[in-house]
Amino acid sequence: MREVVVEHLARVEGHGDIEVVIEGDAVKRAVLRIYEGPRFFERILIGKSYYEVPDITARICSICPDPYQVVSSRAIEKAMGIRVDKQVEALRELQLIADVIHSHALHLFFLALPDFLGYTDAIRMATQYPDTVKLGLKVKRAGNAIKEVITGRTVHGVVTKPGGYTKVPRAEDLERLSEQLKSSIDGAREAIRVFSSLKMPEYALDDNLYIAVDPGEHYGYSGDHLLVSDGTRHPVENYMHLTNEVTVEHSSAKHSSYKGSSFMTGALARLLLNEKKLYGEAKESYESLRDRVDPRNPFSNNIAQAIELLYSVQRAVDIIDGLLDEGIKDELMVEVKPKAGEGIAVVEAPRGLLYHHYKLDDEGRVVFANLVTPTAQNAANMDKYLRIAVRNLKDLSDDELKFKLEMLVRAYDPCISCSVHLTRIRV
Amino acid sequence: MGKLKAGFYSLTGCQGEYLTILGMEDVLLDLLSLVDIAEFKLASSKEYDGKVDIAFVEGSVSTERDLEYIKRIRENSGILVALGDCAVWGGIQASTTGQDWKELMRSVYKTESNLYGFLGEHKGVSEVVPVDYEIQGCPIEGKEFARVLMDLVRDVKPELPDYPVCIECKVREIPCLIVERALPCLGPITVAGCDARCPSYNTVCIGCRGPIRDEANVSGELEMLLRKGYDRERILDLMSLFGARYKDLRSLIEGGKS
Repeated sequence: MREVVVEHLARVEGHGDIEVVIEGDAVKRAVLRIYEGPRFFERILIGKSYYEVPDITARICSICPDPYQVVSSRAIEKAMGIRVDKQVEALRELQLIADVIHSHALHLFFLALPDFLGYTDAIRMATQYPDTVKLGLKVKRAGNAIKEVITGRTVHGVVTKPGGYTKVPRAEDLERLSEQLKSSIDGAREAIRVFSSLKMPEYALDDNLYIAVDPGEHYGYSGDHLLVSDGTRHPVENYMHLTNEVTVEHSSAKHSSYKGSSFMTGALARLLLNEKKLYGEAKESYESLRDRVDPRNPFSNNIAQAIELLYSVQRAVDIIDGLLDEGIKDELMVEVKPKAGEGIAVVEAPRGLLYHHYKLDDEGRVVFANLVTPTAQNAANMDKYLRIAVRNLKDLSDDELKFKLEMLVRAYDPCISCSVHLTRIRV
Repeated sequence: MGKLKAGFYSLTGCQGEYLTILGMEDVLLDLLSLVDIAEFKLASSKEYDGKVDIAFVEGSVSTERDLEYIKRIRENSGILVALGDCAVWGGIQASTTGQDWKELMRSVYKTESNLYGFLGEHKGVSEVVPVDYEIQGCPIEGKEFARVLMDLVRDVKPELPDYPVCIECKVREIPCLIVERALPCLGPITVAGCDARCPSYNTVCIGCRGPIRDEANVSGELEMLLRKGYDRERILDLMSLFGARYKDLRSLIEGGKS
């Protein structure tokens, strides 16, 4: 029996190991084991006022605090029957886009690319590829600049509440932001140039199932319906059927399945399901790279992220210019009259679907919270492809095998802090 | 003289301190080039387990694995800097302090067995090993980190704020949210350094930078908010979100129970 363990995966968010056991020709075990400490967020939320919820849930994850704040706010507004206006919706879409820009740039240039170019990290990679790293930093900065202008800081912004924003950005700040985004688009083009020039590994291929939000008219990161690659469409209220979480003994993140099959959520799922909704340069790029986006290969997620990075920069400029054309209104938040209710909402975080479900009492306090995160949804799918990879690579040395399995897990861009807090063990 | 060796380590938390540092794109490469990075798991797969001159640690001490790790880090480092509310005060997860861990496991994980080697509470690093400097915040301010790093590499003792957020509101001439609007703002007990960010965005300080160590007057804040009509339990709950392990607050909470 041969055991191979990658301890404390590097260049992913959070704490996890990869464990492999091979007996003769058979792969006995190939799993991502998650050992993040339990933080009891669902318990912390109980009894809290609706107003505090986005500030609390943001703390689950520092890579995607904005999706947490937006989806919390939306679910609570649904529970209370509140509608926000177009400007709030546009600013929230920008917040989601900002998170995609900074997160994809971080993943592509800092977490994934060093593997392909033979470095331990982007800081050392910068000695040989200074322009690539600088362009990556420039586009990443543009994503974070959106967060600073709208939410007050890059991590755990302070203004996003049920009912709207406590402060609205000034027109001159939005104008500057638009210029900064336009000049950062070279970074997104660089991501496409670099990743399309690399050969994506093909040691883990199989048919896969994808789920993504239906964003409506334009490619985007929120909506009230989900699209599945089997051709079906579902209202968000049915999220339990789309996630079917079960607990497994090797991981403190629950595993999801849809009709008995694991599935993938994230950039590749969004691109495959919503490709017709792209426009502009991102659409042209995608069309020229379509044959590089193999739905059977999870490594295609890297290319999908590069295309989304370009789209997101371009889309952010369009939304900001739209807001400026309409004239940004310095409006107060919608008045919130707390009442009892139940609300379910979904957004696309950079690495996939994030569902929030709350029940509130008549003073607007949380009595029930359920949060389903992208990495928990992807966990079973990662294990599926790890097993395929081990089957194909089992003749390699331990070190080579470890390296290739780490690369595969990184392609999913997992966010382990997010995935862990919601595990429920059935005993 | 060569560069100082620095390690960037993570315990239980959201990694918000390192995301904040990686979010300082304009100065990132220059800043990190001030030291020789020995270990930084979030950003690098370089392996190293020898001694470092400076250890930066984020996250709370929550599991047996955290506890072993932080002891090893302490043994192998010259200066140890705790980064962020989790490492300084146990973080938002420490707001469960005082609750029975079996009840917590049951309510979230539907079991009473200790699946993850949970220590029963979430602790700040200084409760477990000696800490040389604490940079507070949820998350930290990038500029404050940069200043401390530059001081340490020049062998200068870093200065960190020991006064409340209120001072920054005064400097910025932001009308007091407690006095003018009777809102439950935690500025008076919370350590400054954010330039009164939340009040400047028309919302109360939620205390995310944590209490001013040994100085925060939590009973004064409690009295003031009781006079504004808030009930005791609600005020203590708000103060516990980022400061539950501050000893004066524990006395108030535990005193109230008896």
